[in-house]
Amino acid sequence: MRYVGAGYGISLVVIAGYAVRVVTRARSLRRGSR
Amino acid sequence: MNATSRLLGGAALISLVTTVVLGLGLPPTVEQGQYVKFIAIHPPLAWAAYLSFGVTAVASILYLVPRTRHRRWDHIAGASAEVGVVFTALTLVTGSIWGRPTWGVWWVWDARLTLTALMLFLFLGYLALRRVAGDPDTRARRSAVAAILAVLVVPIDHFAVQWWRTLHQGQSLTMTPQKNLDGNYIAVMLLGFLAMTLVYAWLTLQRYWVEELEDEVGDQGLQNALAERRAEAGAGAGVR
Repeated sequence: MRYVGAGYGISLVVIAGYAVRVVTRARSLRRGSR
Repeated sequence: MNATSRLLGGAALISLVTTVVLGLGLPPTVEQGQYVKFIAIHPPLAWAAYLSFGVTAVASILYLVPRTRHRRWDHIAGASAEVGVVFTALTLVTGSIWGRPTWGVWWVWDARLTLTALMLFLFLGYLALRRVAGDPDTRARRSAVAAILAVLVVPIDHFAVQWWRTLHQGQSLTMTPQKNLDGNYIAVMLLGFLAMTLVYAWLTLQRYWVEELEDEVGDQGLQNALAERRAEAGAGAGVR
């Protein structure tokens, strides 16, 4: 189960991390363009 | 647009959470044991990577065709490729973690694995090419040609398991209950495909907005710089 947990965990963390990065960048650009 | 994003984001989150819960709840099989649970995320991640690069190629073609040429297509191509790189990297990581207990190795220079790695590096190169300074139109055209060439690896990667003798299993979607996989596993895998498609769509939409905003900020910066230069030149002429 160690491998399964690692596979699922890494996938979710990377997707969530990327989503946060993109949304944060969009917000800061929106603030900057105002 | 925000309502669409929220709806898409909500649907993506719900389907992803459901996939994870059902995927982790799948019973072990005789052949794979617990590792069969990877079927809910690994093939869907690979599908999302293919979809991303497919969209990048279509958007690139639309940019190159003079009748449909618009900056929007270049932005969609770039946004989709970046999301695709994330999905490809995760495909390789989850595949490697699945391979370790089932094949006994983290990595093997098998046709499918090697071509997936090649796909990752081709699109990383594409993203690097997009950052090369220059006229926006020239840069977009150059990138579009590169994307169309790079996407040729996608069908080769997909059919690699049929064309060559590989350690990797056959195409997941051809595994039917009658053949070698129970219907519940296929159902959860199909839900995973839906979840990753929605996650891809939402991420690409967010990344597309970043591209549009960066372009807007860039244009504004250029206009401000030109206005400053004009003001300086005017002041200089007044002094003389």
